[in-house]
Amino acid sequence: MPCAESLQVQAYVDGETDAMASAAIERHLEHCAECRGLHQELIELGTALRRELPYTQTPPALRAQILRALDREGGAAHPPRRTPGIWRLRSYWMGAVSGLGAAAAAAALAFVLIVPSFKSPLVDELLGAHVNSLMSSHVIDVVSTDKHTVKPWFAGHTDVSPVVADFDSQGYKLIGGRVDYLEHQRAAVVVYQHGAHIINVFSWAAGHQSLPDKVTRNGYHLMCWKAGDLDYCAVSDTAWDELQEMVRLLQGAGALEQR
Amino acid sequence: MDERRQRFEAQVLPYLDDAYRFARWLARSPEGADDCVQEAMLRAYRGFDALRGADAKAWLLTIVRNCHSTALKQQQRRAQVPLPEEQDPLDGQALIASGPDPESASIRRDEARTLERLVAELPEEYREILILREVEDMDYRGIAAVVNVPLGTVMSRLARARAALRKNWLQQVEGAPGAVR
Repeated sequence: MPCAESLQVQAYVDGETDAMASAAIERHLEHCAECRGLHQELIELGTALRRELPYTQTPPALRAQILRALDREGGAAHPPRRTPGIWRLRSYWMGAVSGLGAAAAAAALAFVLIVPSFKSPLVDELLGAHVNSLMSSHVIDVVSTDKHTVKPWFAGHTDVSPVVADFDSQGYKLIGGRVDYLEHQRAAVVVYQHGAHIINVFSWAAGHQSLPDKVTRNGYHLMCWKAGDLDYCAVSDTAWDELQEMVRLLQGAGALEQR
Repeated sequence: MDERRQRFEAQVLPYLDDAYRFARWLARSPEGADDCVQEAMLRAYRGFDALRGADAKAWLLTIVRNCHSTALKQQQRRAQVPLPEEQDPLDGQALIASGPDPESASIRRDEARTLERLVAELPEEYREILILREVEDMDYRGIAAVVNVPLGTVMSRLARARAALRKNWLQQVEGAPGAVR
């Protein structure tokens, strides 16, 4: 059984830890012989790889061939294809440009530093999607505080029609919607803002994977429930009771819609 | 040369060598790598407007990887081998790729390049992440974007890749017979 800190040691060697985390790992290395050994091994391996692996360059003939192919393409822009794969790619890159800044970076780092021990792959997917949305700052595809705009938008972009409601007066402001790819389908994500926190409410056609009602991973709370033939999961770093209140409001709105 | 082409040459073309290196590590043959890079550069050029000044290197490598997996699927279809179901991340049982491929066979003749051969023999899921980190010098976020897995998976897979490589490397250095097939 390797030391629980081993992935942090790796992150440290890879330059992925900030000053505080680095200091903590350095302290750990002082009294954990196993991690000291690992630290040494990782450095040796990295040095050997950089020394031994060829640093190949593109053959000139291939480069010329590629440039000729580009000439044939002409200069017109092609419309990007809207497949889920490309969409996720775009969301990441678009977000990377604007960069939501410190909060997003902190979220990303927290995710890196705390080693996940997921039992449910779906929880893993949900958390990944949530963190990705914060990191990329691409939280929203359709920006609107009006549920009559957001809900129809999902009809054209996802396979589900989730409950969309605004609870601005209760402190949970509807700020828009997004599409994510979850459990091999296009899931609808309704995005709410509560104070400085983003709450992503995922919904997708219920599958056979079981989900925990409540779970906390890496400082993010997840609350999952089922309504009709949809699975829902609210994810945020708000306090537990605040997330629970949000879910209670949503379930109430859902019950009203059913009538 | 029009303005769009100029921007492409300024922002994306500098990473052609990175794309080519990555393709060489992914593809089963040098010819396959050539095709893969050429297709990737075309796709990149066509979809260039989606980039909007972001990390062009990781973006391009993502396209290279997609081209590679498309080509791989086409080959498998031609060979009438049923496609495997989408699999969960490796859990460490398959540390060495099953069949020898032409490239690693040719590399094998050159015993001086032990480490290179050992990397080539790693399963693709390990090899790509190791190459992105150690050769392409990308950070976890960039790797997660290229490989399209969560950061946690990047970390655990990278750790397994390194452990597997180190184990095979030590066996090789110590000359244990049959350690690396």
